[in-house]
Amino acid sequence: MKRVAAGDQSAFATLYDAIAPRAYGLIRRITRDPALAEEVTQDALVEVWRTASRFDAERGSAVGWILSIAHHRAVDRVRAEQAAADRERRTGTVSVPFDEVIAEVTARLEHQAVRRCLRALTSIQREAILLAYYGGLTYRDVAERLGAALPTVKTRMRDGLIRLRDCLGVTLG
Amino acid sequence: MTDIHTFAGAYALHAIDRPERARFERHLAECPSCAAEVAEITDTMAALSDATAEAPPARLRAAVLARSAATPQVERSVSRLRIRLPAVRWQRLAAAAAAVVALGGAGVAGYETANDSALVDDTRVSAENKQIAAVLAAPDARLHSVRAAGGGQVTVVSSHSLNEAVAVLGKLPSPGAKHAYQLWVISDGTPRNAGVLAAGSTGATELVSGIHGAQLIGITREPAGGSRTPTQPLVARVSLT
Repeated sequence: MKRVAAGDQSAFATLYDAIAPRAYGLIRRITRDPALAEEVTQDALVEVWRTASRFDAERGSAVGWILSIAHHRAVDRVRAEQAAADRERRTGTVSVPFDEVIAEVTARLEHQAVRRCLRALTSIQREAILLAYYGGLTYRDVAERLGAALPTVKTRMRDGLIRLRDCLGVTLG
Repeated sequence: MTDIHTFAGAYALHAIDRPERARFERHLAECPSCAAEVAEITDTMAALSDATAEAPPARLRAAVLARSAATPQVERSVSRLRIRLPAVRWQRLAAAAAAVVALGGAGVAGYETANDSALVDDTRVSAENKQIAAVLAAPDARLHSVRAAGGGQVTVVSSHSLNEAVAVLGKLPSPGAKHAYQLWVISDGTPRNAGVLAAGSTGATELVSGIHGAQLIGITREPAGGSRTPTQPLVARVSLT
């Protein structure tokens, strides 16, 4: 990352090779459209290049930072598309098959530890996290969808994430 | 009552709207444990990404590399540094910079001042150190730091209210015995001399006066004694805005 931040193009090419499948795969899960995913991945990785000097190793891993940028770009895009579609239809109904996405993601979680840790969560914790992360929903949307109170969803999301973190043993430094 | 800490999870998942996001980011700046929690959640979710990894179309690589080659990179921003440095660390940084000044009076005296007597020089250095301390302590002090081309770091603390800045140059590559680094205050593309380091010197702390209307402080490598206008490309450019 330091070499990338210093403007080293070949270091960025190496970084691309290491991270692009994970960024593209994540973005594709969220956008559910290969062409859109390609476009968003391009934007996200150019953003990584542009802002590489802001990466701070004391605040997490480079992979985490990059995927966070990828995730943010993807959910922003999905929300913008959704808002445009809603304006067009004037129905306001959400008709995207999030459940399919979540089912697919969990089915593909080959990593035993990840699958075991997700299973260890309560169902509301797990659904809140997966709907927000892969569905691109805000916690308000999640609350509506799950028929739960706003503060409940917010705290369950956080509690679930902390449990997931502890289960996977992710710590800084 | 809404406990703002509880937003950490939703924030890390980008699951809050813009006003809440802005509010939580202000809180993050003052809450190291929240920042750590967000970072750990971010890394946790990244651990899930192996499961969804998928090879992108081959053309994406060329597209990303071509666009990045044409995209200038940002310097580390002030707001980012403010977030990173809580008040205590900020003060420690200012104190550290002041200590550098105190220890490295030679750096400050690095101007070419052949005619000055030692006494005059000492008095001037002492006055400059006071001014430097004032800039570092100014309530509107802003910090910008960039890596210089070829290595080393240039950090500038500027105060608009004092119309002054302090530039700390560290570990620059040796300019060679017959060359020196020179500072420039750049306003609308026009550089003005802001001091020359001693020949061969790779670091110094310099007080730069008269920054109103300027956008940049630039550093070039010049023949010893400095030049009237830059003769070499900038090795570092630090934003003042």
